[in-house]
Amino acid sequence: MVMRISENMKFNTMIDNMFKTESSYNKLMEKIVSQKEINRPSDDPIGMVKVLDFRKSRASVEQYSRNIDGCESWLTVTESKLSAAGNLLIKAREVAAAQSTETASAETRSIEAEAVQQLIGEMFALANSKYEGRYLFSGTKSEEVPFSSSVRSAPETGAAAAAAGNTFDGTVTSGGAYGGLVNKTYVVKIVAGGVLADATYKVSDDGGKTWGLEKDDLDSGTITLGDGIELTFTGGSAALTTDDIFYVHAFATGYYNGNSEELSVNIGEGTPFAYSVSGEAAFTDKGEGDVDIFGILNQLKTALETNDTDGIASCIDDLKAASDQIIKYNSMCGTRVNRLEIAKNNLADLDLDLTKLISNVEDADIAEIMSKFAMKEIALKASYAAASKIGNLTILGFLR
Amino acid sequence: MSIDALNTAKDALLSHQTAINLTGTNIANVNTPGYTRQRPVFSTLGQSVEIAEIKRIYDRFLGAQINEQMHNLGFNEAKKNELDRVETIFNEAGGGGINELLSKFWSAWEDLSANPSGQAERQVLVSVSQSLTSMFRSYSDGLLSVQDDANAWIQGLAHQVNNHLSDIADINSKITRTENDDVGLNTLKDKRAALLSGLAEIVDFHYFEDSSGLINAFLSNGMPLVEGIHTWELDVVTENHVSNPFFYDVVFKDDPGNVINGVITNGKLAGFLEMRDTTIKGYMDSLDGLAASLVDKVNTQHNLGYDMSQSSGEDFFDAAKTKAKNIEVSIAIIADINKIAASETVNGDGGNAVSMSDIKDTLTMDGGKSTFSAYYSSLVGRVGQDAADADRNVDHHTILMSQLTNKREENSGVSIDEEMMNLIMYQTGYNAAARIFSTTDELLDVLMNLVR
Repeated sequence: MVMRISENMKFNTMIDNMFKTESSYNKLMEKIVSQKEINRPSDDPIGMVKVLDFRKSRASVEQYSRNIDGCESWLTVTESKLSAAGNLLIKAREVAAAQSTETASAETRSIEAEAVQQLIGEMFALANSKYEGRYLFSGTKSEEVPFSSSVRSAPETGAAAAAAGNTFDGTVTSGGAYGGLVNKTYVVKIVAGGVLADATYKVSDDGGKTWGLEKDDLDSGTITLGDGIELTFTGGSAALTTDDIFYVHAFATGYYNGNSEELSVNIGEGTPFAYSVSGEAAFTDKGEGDVDIFGILNQLKTALETNDTDGIASCIDDLKAASDQIIKYNSMCGTRVNRLEIAKNNLADLDLDLTKLISNVEDADIAEIMSKFAMKEIALKASYAAASKIGNLTILGFLR
Repeated sequence: MSIDALNTAKDALLSHQTAINLTGTNIANVNTPGYTRQRPVFSTLGQSVEIAEIKRIYDRFLGAQINEQMHNLGFNEAKKNELDRVETIFNEAGGGGINELLSKFWSAWEDLSANPSGQAERQVLVSVSQSLTSMFRSYSDGLLSVQDDANAWIQGLAHQVNNHLSDIADINSKITRTENDDVGLNTLKDKRAALLSGLAEIVDFHYFEDSSGLINAFLSNGMPLVEGIHTWELDVVTENHVSNPFFYDVVFKDDPGNVINGVITNGKLAGFLEMRDTTIKGYMDSLDGLAASLVDKVNTQHNLGYDMSQSSGEDFFDAAKTKAKNIEVSIAIIADINKIAASETVNGDGGNAVSMSDIKDTLTMDGGKSTFSAYYSSLVGRVGQDAADADRNVDHHTILMSQLTNKREENSGVSIDEEMMNLIMYQTGYNAAARIFSTTDELLDVLMNLVR
């Protein structure tokens, strides 16, 4: 059958097809200019989702790398402080060895006593070092000076403190003798508010991380927190209110004021990494620690001052143990840095992979697009050429 | 006998004159949209000729098919129109959207965990959180403005429907009058076909032409729109809509209590209704879900921590504002950055900030099936997929439409070549008829001279 071709058909068909070619031409042009395969979600919805997921992963990788860099600096500084402390202990042991012999005299011992006193001073300076404004060796109490120069011969209960945001405006005082072996921070959190007789509370002995059972024995105003510590509330004008916080620091014997906790950050998804060395473990005989380093040094100093040869000799082994303790934590820093290096390399690889993956999905293959572009250009030129002919050839041209 | 010949010549001249006029009309309307070509139907009248009818060359089934296609095209065009705009809101291709800000938000907590008392870290966290919340709000505003746009379309289209209905009824009434000649009637029918096609783009309806040539149109459930010269006009009412009191519901003007949104299933009006009430509302709900869950999870974790003054963490986000349109960092936190509870204990460590950043990998959404960012990327994917589908559907239906239009043009369109051939044909006929005139005149002249 012969097809009737009306005037509108000629033009419509031409225009429709020209638009189609022009629009794919422009799409290619956009890809070339933006260098991106995906310029809006509808260009490739699944690709877009992938890109967003990859980008999120890459942002995490960047953050983990930054965390690792921070840990590494912290550990490097810790390492250098510990190795300096180790050197001080070697010096102290040399002094002890030399002065425990018969060739030494009361005079040399009293001179060396002053040298040891200086060593102790340097040791305090090392143990109280800061990095970026935070104490290296105070555990998670990083705002607290870790070691005091005077010794606590008995455990102490610190003053009770109320958090600044509390509603309760009465007074709270601590009491009782602390019987614990390590430094702790006791926290009392009010669960249900009200006057003393009505209020309930819970107690934490790790600074507020984990909690004991809810209790309601506030009637008398005095409660027992554990290890002999008591807290006494005296009512003010505002009653206890939910989430009011009270806390008491409790200290074991010795020189240490920090705690045994370690600082940590994430170095991977769900991978917290403890990067600080607690002063308790490295410098005291409490908790993880075995040797009270400041105790031994002071013992040596006293023995030298009192010309106690046996006392000096007895320090030698203890100083050896002290050195070992420092070396142990020094090498632990090294191991941790190694672990960080491995994690960092893995992250760098991952970052590279992610960059590649993102690029594969998102970036335009310019060579391929340029060749398609050239093809479209030819097609477009052809349709323009055809369009210029449209209407030229009708019977009108042949009628006089 | 000769007088008969004169009459025949006269009829032939007049008929060809009409045919030439009609060719002129066809040529003049070569570019008139919806114009249907007309043909004279010559027929013998005794020994003479007449134009029995001026025929409109039209395929009514093709017309119905085109109208059917108009519903689909209108529906998908409406969707594409709105989705193109939604897509620009969710365009994360260049980064900088919620996805990136969420990552920055968690990173800011990580940085704070490494230096919990750092004022700079705290300040950064607050500013990043404010950027994140304001991004949520601007997405929500964007979606609402697209809904408003669809809403305005719905109102406008309902009025357009009414205009079409009254015009169709008007033409129906003109067609019933008898004073129309064939050409006039054909013009009216062309106009009415164009009106039906315009109406078909807006709403879906069934129609038929009754024995007296009147068009009757009904909605998909049989409610009448036009019956002969009577119309049932649409109207829009506010304040009853479930999700927004400013949204319009479509009703019949004479029954404003009965919402007929659901009866309109195709065409532009249905497209805009679906966009406003289902698709965009769905995006909005997802975004709200994300915002609410973010507020909840972050606040819960924040409450477990301790701020710089050893107090329990307050809410980080304003707990009363849990929608994408109003999510906000708590005013107390903005006023005092030391209230950020980075610490897990009263000793000022960064443990709570670590736990906070762990939320990013927690399966918090979709009933414990996806993380915040996975949930968000799948929302972007959904928007992209919907937009791509609408694009493809419009392309598909445009192609079908142009095929059908071509089909119609093939049948009803004007071809200049054909008209020129017809013109030559009619001109030849006219010339020959004129020759009969002059020949008969000469014959009569001879006869007259004979008598003298």
